[in-house]
Amino acid sequence: MCLGIPMQIINIQGYNAQCEAKGIRREVNLFLLQDEAIIVGDFVLVHVGYALQKMTSQEAQTTWELLDQLMAPT
Amino acid sequence: MIAQEWLTKIRALPQNSPCKIMNVCGGHERTLSLGGVRTVLPAGIELIPGPGCPVCVCPEEDIYAAIQLALREKVVVATFGDMLRVPINAGKQTVRSLEQARAKGAKVHPISSPLEVVALTQQQPQQKIVFFAAGFETTMAPLAAMLAQGIPQNLSILLSGRLTWPAVAKLLAMENDPVLLPARKETVNPSHSRIFDALVAPGHVATVMGTGEWEFVVKQHHLPVAVAGFTVEGLLAAFYSVLRQRAEGRCFLDNCYPQVVKPAGNLTAQKCLKETMNVVDAQWRGIGCIPRSGFELKDRQIDARYQFPDYTSEGRERRGEMPAGCECAQVILGRIYPKECRLYGTACTPRHPIGPCMVSDEGACRIWWSAGLK
Ligand code: SF4
Repeated sequence: MCLGIPMQIINIQGYNAQCEAKGIRREVNLFLLQDEAIIVGDFVLVHVGYALQKMTSQEAQTTWELLDQLMAPT
Repeated sequence: MIAQEWLTKIRALPQNSPCKIMNVCGGHERTLSLGGVRTVLPAGIELIPGPGCPVCVCPEEDIYAAIQLALREKVVVATFGDMLRVPINAGKQTVRSLEQARAKGAKVHPISSPLEVVALTQQQPQQKIVFFAAGFETTMAPLAAMLAQGIPQNLSILLSGRLTWPAVAKLLAMENDPVLLPARKETVNPSHSRIFDALVAPGHVATVMGTGEWEFVVKQHHLPVAVAGFTVEGLLAAFYSVLRQRAEGRCFLDNCYPQVVKPAGNLTAQKCLKETMNVVDAQWRGIGCIPRSGFELKDRQIDARYQFPDYTSEGRERRGEMPAGCECAQVILGRIYPKECRLYGTACTPRHPIGPCMVSDEGACRIWWSAGLK
């Protein structure tokens, strides 16, 4: 539950954003990043639907690779 | 740096005494177990899963209360999917989990985000909805954001949120108390009585709360700490940091996940938490009360504990405890490994879980079982 997932922002409306990770789109809430400059294309660390932190595309990539390895059905 | 290079660096360090490194995050434990990291580290380094699973320590009486709300009040109980199968202590003929309550016709709705809870309240404006929310800081910050944005009239919250660091403080306090701390059954060096010699702190909790929360481990207990990310490389970097600190006879708080973790954390999240919740003494299932380790809602108008009868205090046998025969509390306290529980893999498997550590994706028993550790 504490493992955040990197997602890329597709569009922003107020505190709501459409985000994408590996082809999957989700609604993500940006309220906790209200004090940061966030633009479309940015990568954010998302936990239970809320963006907790901005991250680089490289860090997002590394985390996706990890998730691919770990989240294979067990 | 890739994993192999970190391993080479770790192997090159002088190893003069065994070292127990604790992690307090199900995500860390998952990477370590599934990545087989224990098998490649030098002998003498022990990796111990500690209190890293909020579902596992969620008070048994809170789960009982959620079940009673679902069965006896006209409400929908929404909760993270992991909570549905966690068993309470009740006779075989009675309802023992939210999942069983649902099978009996109670309205129990698994969700994976507070946003889904808000959507649910909007789809059913006439329906009273209770959000039963367990979680650590990473989950409480989103919940605080939800509250700060304003929640619909028909929603109330049954909060079982916990802070991570006070559990580690409790472990370290117990260490000096032989009554509280029976010897571990299996250790690298049985005369070596510390629960852990070094700590790998949880990266995403630190993303929210900042790194400073872990300073006490260094300052008061003189143990090395490294905040770690979630890849094998990230964890090996943290192990290298704490082992090197030990080898050099000094300790500090290292941030081995600076790509994501800022020293101060997410200040907006901390502000939301402060505005919506108090930090209070709180019960941990099977462990007892840990000072200043729980979140309580500031607004009683939305607190299900004040909106409905107090089901948590109904007298029952084994109230608040782990299920009979289940050693989850010992696992969570880092005193035994999952495989040391007699029920592990025999009576207790993910398909038929006896204790919460085998239910939750973050429970050490569940993780060890999915990694094939026996
Ligand atoms: S194996 Fe099952 S019964 Fe044993 S500690 Fe883990 S969850 Fe509890």
